[in-house]
Amino acid sequence: MSITSTVQRAPAPDLTAADTRRRAARRTRVRRLALHAATFALLLATWWLVTRTGLVRPLFLPSPGAVWDAFVRANSDHPVSAGSSRVVRGEQNYYLWEHLLASLQRIAAGVGGGIAVGVPLGLVMGTTFLGTLLEPYLNFLRSLPPLAYIGLLIVWFGIGDTSKVWLLFLAAFPPITMATMASVRGVREDQVNAALSLGARRVQTVWAVVLPSTLPDVLTGIRVATGFAWTTVVAAEIANGIPGIGGLAYLAGEQLRSDLVVACIFVIGLAAIVLDLGLKSLERALVPWRGKA
Amino acid sequence: MHHRTLAAAATAACLALGVSGCVESGRTATTAPAEGSACPWTPEESIDTTARIAWQPIPNADVVVKDLGLLEACMPNADISWVQAASGGDVVAYYGAGEVDLGLMGSSPATIASSAPTNADVDLDVVWIHDVIGDAESLVAKDPAVTDLEGLRGGTIAVPFSSTAHYSLLQALLDAGLDPDKDVKVINLDPEKMAGAWQGDQIDAAWVWDPTQSQLIEDGGTRILSSADTAEAGRPTFDVGTVDAEFAAQNTEFMEQWAKVQDHAVTMIQDDPQTAAESVAVVLGIDPEDVLPQFEGLTFLDAATQAGPDYLGGKLAEDLRTTASFLLEQGGIDAVGTAQDYAGHVDAGPAASVGR
Repeated sequence: MSITSTVQRAPAPDLTAADTRRRAARRTRVRRLALHAATFALLLATWWLVTRTGLVRPLFLPSPGAVWDAFVRANSDHPVSAGSSRVVRGEQNYYLWEHLLASLQRIAAGVGGGIAVGVPLGLVMGTTFLGTLLEPYLNFLRSLPPLAYIGLLIVWFGIGDTSKVWLLFLAAFPPITMATMASVRGVREDQVNAALSLGARRVQTVWAVVLPSTLPDVLTGIRVATGFAWTTVVAAEIANGIPGIGGLAYLAGEQLRSDLVVACIFVIGLAAIVLDLGLKSLERALVPWRGKA
Repeated sequence: MHHRTLAAAATAACLALGVSGCVESGRTATTAPAEGSACPWTPEESIDTTARIAWQPIPNADVVVKDLGLLEACMPNADISWVQAASGGDVVAYYGAGEVDLGLMGSSPATIASSAPTNADVDLDVVWIHDVIGDAESLVAKDPAVTDLEGLRGGTIAVPFSSTAHYSLLQALLDAGLDPDKDVKVINLDPEKMAGAWQGDQIDAAWVWDPTQSQLIEDGGTRILSSADTAEAGRPTFDVGTVDAEFAAQNTEFMEQWAKVQDHAVTMIQDDPQTAAESVAVVLGIDPEDVLPQFEGLTFLDAATQAGPDYLGGKLAEDLRTTASFLLEQGGIDAVGTAQDYAGHVDAGPAASVGR
């Protein structure tokens, strides 16, 4: 593919400049990828060496091999012990990916609710007197550690998924509201005035000017909120959190199964990174004008 | 810009797909059903009770019942759900929220639930003794030279607060003439965090259960005392089965069947520990070989024994009251009830009905 395109492009001299630039960009990308891979390999090697030499005991840091085994075990049907006829599904009757999916569902519901409430609330708070009125309460809510009030939520909403989703919602919506509000307040007045002087009505300026210019900050708020939701999910799942990756990590920790705990941590971390990359690409697609307006 | 929109749409679709594929909660069936998961007697089809049961990962007959699905098998028309709790305090909170009908807890939380002020929020009956705690909970000291509590004077002892182990430790300290507030430093620590504190020399001893207990002994610790010793000194601790009093009154048939199933699982631990250990291993997510020694540290009682005067039939209420007067001194409860109060929170009925 690359050969044919170079051949085809050869007769067009005006393309070479762009071509060179593209090639340079690709080179940078390859170099960055290689750097990432090398760092990762080095970390893995150090980890392996540290556990291999017995510097750290498996209880505190299990070896990469043990973590991988725990990961595979948690994703497969396996006998409860070598030679036993009793076959078990994954961990706690769910595969690891099902645990992850269950947590993702809760996060999606919590953050989804956070967006549905946070964005309109932020818009209202940014444009009216409600902002000054409600901001202290929002700050109060934002600074509460989730573990402090999960007990209350259980009393109010039961021990099922409802209380967990509520907790994630309460963790997710303040950052979204704050981001929206701050952004609405930051909309340049001359842009709104320009639209008004061109004959737009007040409501129209919200749609045509305020919303598009707040969108980048709102999306950042959503990314921050999703990060919060991830850190909260373990707290939410300590009580009756199976299936759930946080609940599994907690139960594994109780039984001193460090290999499974580390496997869970890796899965949580990787899932969070993938989710954030997804949101980032969403941001690029939805607000291509970011940083250019 | 087209490919970007496409990529974004694909991401959104992936996310939506990922989260809409629902993972249902409460799955109990494993891929290969265990031997002995059928009801050992003719199932009672007339019972259609809806019961929510709080369980804890403790190696006793309750998790065997849960794993084998015995309640579900013996009462096919009942609607049974299992709720996992992290501690006895959690179970009491679930009762308070009206979220569970039955639950397992240690004798300390059960005493708290039967005393003021908590007894205003919940009305529980102790109807079963899942196990009598023996060597399953013990005081392990780091310094091999330390052979008794006196040797720990001035040291730091870790224990999970509000647990049966906490009660046993404080009781043992007082019996040895040590003031828990002055002569030693008692700190609140979750079992899974003890190994780290131990390694870093931040604690001198810990009163704890398995798997941490075995871990600390493996690390060179020595067992000074265990809950078997405090039990001998007249302060026994238990893991008990509790039920909401109103629920029990309305569902006597269910409670009798429940006790029968529990009794069957107790017999299984006594007669066929290997199979019972496999069930426990499945629920706890550990190796069956590690379960067998944990059984050793607990005493399991069949229905007839526990319905007798030494346990549910009489002495347990006294034990709860002894625990209460101790908890009052330590600031765990507001007041100690009368002997009748505690007798009123113990019901030997379901246990006595087994085998009748």
